[in-house]
Formats: sequence, C-alpha cells, structure tokens
Amino acid sequence: MYKKFIYLQWKSFFRAAGVASKLAQKILIGVVWAYFAFVFSGLAFIAFYGIQEEFGLDPLPTVSGFLIYAFALWIVIRYFIQKMPMVHVQPLLTLPLSKKRIVHFGLAKSTISFFNIINLFFFIPFGFILLKEDYNLWGVISWGLSIGCIILTTNFLNVLLNSQDRLLLVATAILLGLFGLQYYELFDITAFSEPVFMAPYYQPLWLLAPLALMIFSYRQSFEHFLKKLYMDSDEMRPKKEVQRATELKWLDGFGRTSFFLKNDIRLIVRNKRARMAVWMGVAFLFYGLIFMMDIYDYPLTKVFVGIFVTGGFLFSFGQFVPSWDSSYYALMMTQNVPYKEYLKSKWWLVVVGTLVSIPLASFYIFFSWESYFAILAGGIYNIGVNAHMVLLSGAYTRTPIDLNSMQRAFGDKKSFNAKTILLGIPKIFLPMFIFYIGVLVHSKLMGFILIGVVGVLGFALRNLVFDWIEKVYQNEKYQTLAAYKQKNT
Amino acid sequence: MIDINLLSKKYGEQTVLDIDLLNIPSGQTFGLVGNNGAGKTTLFSLILDLIEATTGEVKNNEIVVSKDEHWKNHTAAFVDEQFLIGYLTPEEYFYFVGGLRNMKKDAIKSALEPYKDFFHGEVLGQKKYIRDLSKGNQKKVGIVGTLISNTPLVILDEPFANLDPTTQIRLKKLLKEEASATGKTFLISSHDLQHITDVCDRIVVLNKGKIVRDVITSSKTLKELEAFFQEQL
Repeated sequence: MYKKFIYLQWKSFFRAAGVASKLAQKILIGVVWAYFAFVFSGLAFIAFYGIQEEFGLDPLPTVSGFLIYAFALWIVIRYFIQKMPMVHVQPLLTLPLSKKRIVHFGLAKSTISFFNIINLFFFIPFGFILLKEDYNLWGVISWGLSIGCIILTTNFLNVLLNSQDRLLLVATAILLGLFGLQYYELFDITAFSEPVFMAPYYQPLWLLAPLALMIFSYRQSFEHFLKKLYMDSDEMRPKKEVQRATELKWLDGFGRTSFFLKNDIRLIVRNKRARMAVWMGVAFLFYGLIFMMDIYDYPLTKVFVGIFVTGGFLFSFGQFVPSWDSSYYALMMTQNVPYKEYLKSKWWLVVVGTLVSIPLASFYIFFSWESYFAILAGGIYNIGVNAHMVLLSGAYTRTPIDLNSMQRAFGDKKSFNAKTILLGIPKIFLPMFIFYIGVLVHSKLMGFILIGVVGVLGFALRNLVFDWIEKVYQNEKYQTLAAYKQKNT
Repeated sequence: MIDINLLSKKYGEQTVLDIDLLNIPSGQTFGLVGNNGAGKTTLFSLILDLIEATTGEVKNNEIVVSKDEHWKNHTAAFVDEQFLIGYLTPEEYFYFVGGLRNMKKDAIKSALEPYKDFFHGEVLGQKKYIRDLSKGNQKKVGIVGTLISNTPLVILDEPFANLDPTTQIRLKKLLKEEASATGKTFLISSHDLQHITDVCDRIVVLNKGKIVRDVITSSKTLKELEAFFQEQL
C-alpha cells in the first residue's frame, strides 16, 4: 500500500511541468544540504570544546539548558519554511484506502524532512565526542534518543501549527519573552530546562517522558487531519461569505491599470497564500536585526541586508508573477489585455510594497547611519532594478498556484520556500558587486551612492525594460498556458 | 468572420486536428459536435490562440490570430473554469471583464439586467465568491461574462454541460434571441445533439480531428446526426 503512495509521489514529480528546472533546483538544494551538514557538524565540535575551554563549563548540561531555545526557534522557523509533504488527498478519498492510512502516510512523510535530518549532523558527532570524552554510554544514548523524540514532537507540532496561526504567535512570544528575561538577567530559563533535558542522561527511565510527548503530538496531529479529511472541512474547501463589498474606487485614477490593481489587491486580501507574501514583507523588515550583531558587522553584509529588509514583499510576491493568475490565465490571454498594463499593475504593487517598507525600516537609524544608507540604497535598487528582475524571472517560473483549493490538508501552503530563496540570490549579488566597485574607487558612501544610482537608472529605463519583458512573456505564452493547465504540481 | 486554411495540430506523431478549409460567415450560429477527442476544444483553443498551430493559420475578421492580438477586441469566449477568477464575486468579475472592454460600471449593471431570469436569483447579490458557487452557477457567470460586452463574436465550449434542465432551456432561448436580435456570430460546441440542432444554423461534425459533416440545420438534421453517431458504435 505504501509503495502505491510513493509511486504517486514519484510520478507527480517527474511528470510535473518544468521537470528540468525542478532537477536543477534539487541539485542546488543538494548544495545547500551539504553546506548545512558541514556547518552543523562543525557546530557540534564548537559546542563541546568551545564551551569547555572558553567558559570552563561542562558542555553537556550547558547544551541541554539552551536546547529549549533551539526547539522553540525550530518551531518558528519550520512554520515559515518547512513545506508540508504533498499528498493529493482528494482523489484518494474515494479509493479503497482507509483514511487512517492516508493520514499515517502524510505524517510519516513529514518526518523525512531537512529540518529533522539536519539535526542528526549535530547530535551524532556531538554524541561521539561525548563518548570519546568518557561520558556514560547508556546515558548518552538515552539523552540522544530523548532529543530525537523532542525534535519529532516539534515536527508534528508544526503540522498542527500550519493550520493555526495563533499558536505560532504564542510560540514566538514565549521565545522572545524568555530570551528577553534571560538577556536582562531577570530570569534564567536554562536553570530549569537543564535538569529537565539532562534527566534521561542520569536515569534512562526518564526517556519515557519525551517518548510519550512525541506519541501524544503524533496522535494530536493524526486526529486533527483525520477529522479534516472531508471534502467540506475548512481545510479542504474554505467557504466564506464576502465580508464587505470592496469597491476600491480610489484606484480608478490609475486608468486601465486600475482593473488589474483592483484584482491584485483582492487577490492578496482574499487568499491566504497571497496574504503570506505580505507577512513575509513584514517579517523581513526585522531581518536586519540579526545582522546588527558584531560578527556580521561588515559593509558588504549590510548591502545584502539592505536589499532584503525592504524587498521581502517584492521577492515573495513578485517571484510568482504571473503564477498568481495561473488559475485564470486563459481568460487573461483572450481579453484585450495589453501585457504592459498587466505587468505595470504587478510592478506598482511590488514598488508600493517597497516604498512602504523604506520609511518603516528607518528605525535602523538608531543602530548606525551606515545601516540606514544600506537600506536606503537597497530600497532604491529594489524599485529600480529588482522590481523588473522578479517580473522577468516570473516569466520562467511557471508553477501553477491553485488559489481555489490551496488549503487542502498536507497541501503546499507556503508561498515562501527554498525555491524562492534560491531564485532570489542573483538579485542580491549584483548590488554587492556594485558596492565593492564603489569602495575600490572611493569609499563606502560612494558604494551606497552607486547602488542608488544604478537603481535610479533602472527606474528611468523602465519603459524599455517593460517592452523587453513583454516580449519574453509573449514568447513564453503557449508554454505558460500549457503548464498552468497542469494543476497540483 | 472566421477563416481557417490548412490548419493542423500535432502532438508528436499524433494529429489531433486537421482542417483543410472552414469559413464561418458573420452572423452565423455555428455548432460543433463530436465525440471526446474529436478536436473540438483544440479547434477553439487554436481560434483563441491559446495553443500554437503546427501548420496553417486562423483568421478572425481578416486578422491572423497568432500574429496580431487585435482580434481580442471583438471576441469573447468561455471555454472552462480557466476563464473565471475564483476570488471575485460575480459582480466584480463582470465589472472586470466589462471594464477591460471600456464599459462603464452603470452600463455593465444595465447590461446584466436581461440575465436576471437566467441567473435564477442564485448568482447576483449573493455575497459569495465565484469559487464558492456551484459548478452550474459558475458556468452561468462565465457565459454571461461573454454576452454583456456585446462583442460580435462569442465562443462557448460546452455551454450546456453542468446546467440544470430548466437553465438549459433558458440558455437555448437566450442564445437564439441574442443571435437574431444582435446578429452576433456564435461558435458553440456540445455533446447534446438536440440542443445544438435547436440553436445552431449550421452544424459541423468533427471526428478524429477531421470535418466529416458540414450541414445547414433543417428538420432532418437531428436524425442525420443521430444516425452518424450510431454508426460510430
């Protein structure tokens, strides 16, 4: 039976639209894997010998204490990036398969993910170091297994979290709250978490606790999806009344482009998947904060951050133009729609998104003028150059987005995934290069100014670029239409 | 209105459509019938430039559709759910489609007036998105979307499928009235021989991508068509 499910997954991958580009992605993702495997293994050594030699602490209890943060952070990161494995459940429902089997398969598949396996690259080397340093063999095994149980628990929690945004907020609040309290030395959670996570090391019987937790979380998500495995459940088919008529009259000033703008705004307001792009924009505003730490305090990384802080929405929404319209692309292609108007509407959206981000990001001024210049230059560059770049790469993306049934259980819910990150990379390196030239010629300020100038130049040339993108879209028309006919890929 | 010359569509070795010559004069209500895989949707997709022809070309009002997009100005089509925008309400959809054809909102509102019966009170003012409507009501929205803007050419693929019997009868009446009152050209495909002979002036039968019958509708047509498909058994 499981063989059949795997067979379906296999076919859907190799028969999907754009297999070649998917393969290229898989290779790139392989490189990312290798990188993280290396980093995590390295971390294991640093975690042990670093703690031992730098702080003179016993590494195992110290690591155990801080694991609470790792797990909480894991839940939050998973929510944003981990994709639920896709099982196209609707057609399976009427087949002679028990629903329990379908759900078991979906959950089992969710455990084989980057976010679970990457941990092995830390904990296995760490475990061997412990043994080499004469820690108790059974203790280490019991400790490792308990960690494994907790990691799987966060995995199943994530499956649950994916349908409840509120839980995510709670996890984030607890994480930030605890960290804040610890940072200001008001309350040290690690004092409590350390004995908890160390317990299985001293007494292997304590392993039963995380094991029970894992089984419990598995049962919870199992029950959750078993209940939702009906065609008319909220998960499978959202049915909502229109809350209020949205006339959006204020957009009429845009002329013919306003028809598309109105649609795009409704697209974002009324589809969870599109709304996610806006949240990514908000989240990326704060992305710069982690780069304010001393170790990242290089001008070149600031350029990198500057692009992302103001470009979160631009990247996460723009990447999927015209895929957002994939479910009715044939309609678009038979209306007397000038491509330019259509593109302009999307362009306006990402540009306005960026324009709003720039003043919102002005709080970085408190950190340093340099950071603020980086963000300003990045914003101008995003508007002038990257706004065009994302539209251009969108012409080749061709991943149909099924807005109508995107909330199906185990569905591909996240509009932001490893692929979008990878496609974003080329748009980042060019400004860094420009900045570098500026530094070579004169100074860092010159570098920021150069990035801005290139941005303004791109903005001035936008009509030329639009003509070019229009041609690309027209050349790709038949292929795009054919790819969008294939849903659920 | 439509001129087709040596048009063919191949997928690999397989020829799915092969038409030497087909002229559809302006004002005609043209019906297309054929079994699954006969090439009906392929033909409509070629006329709408949604797929590329292997050889030959389609002229819509003397415009070669694959070279010049201006045919879109006088053509409206509803082929499948790919022509609906799920997250809009029916009203918003009509304002969008009509607006693209330079109709003012009030003009669209009054253009919708004659279709109240056809909607049977289940489409307008429901505060529902198109994606939440039943298949039949979605179809109504798509069909009316092609009619309100008064384009001289309307293409409908399987308009009768998924509609309830009452609505099928209403749609027949509607199409006949539109054709005689406005002189629009209609291209309609269907699996229902009765409906298509009721509505159309001329009927073309496609079989395995080729035109095998081309008749002007008369009282005998239905019998002839039934006989033809009987032979295919």
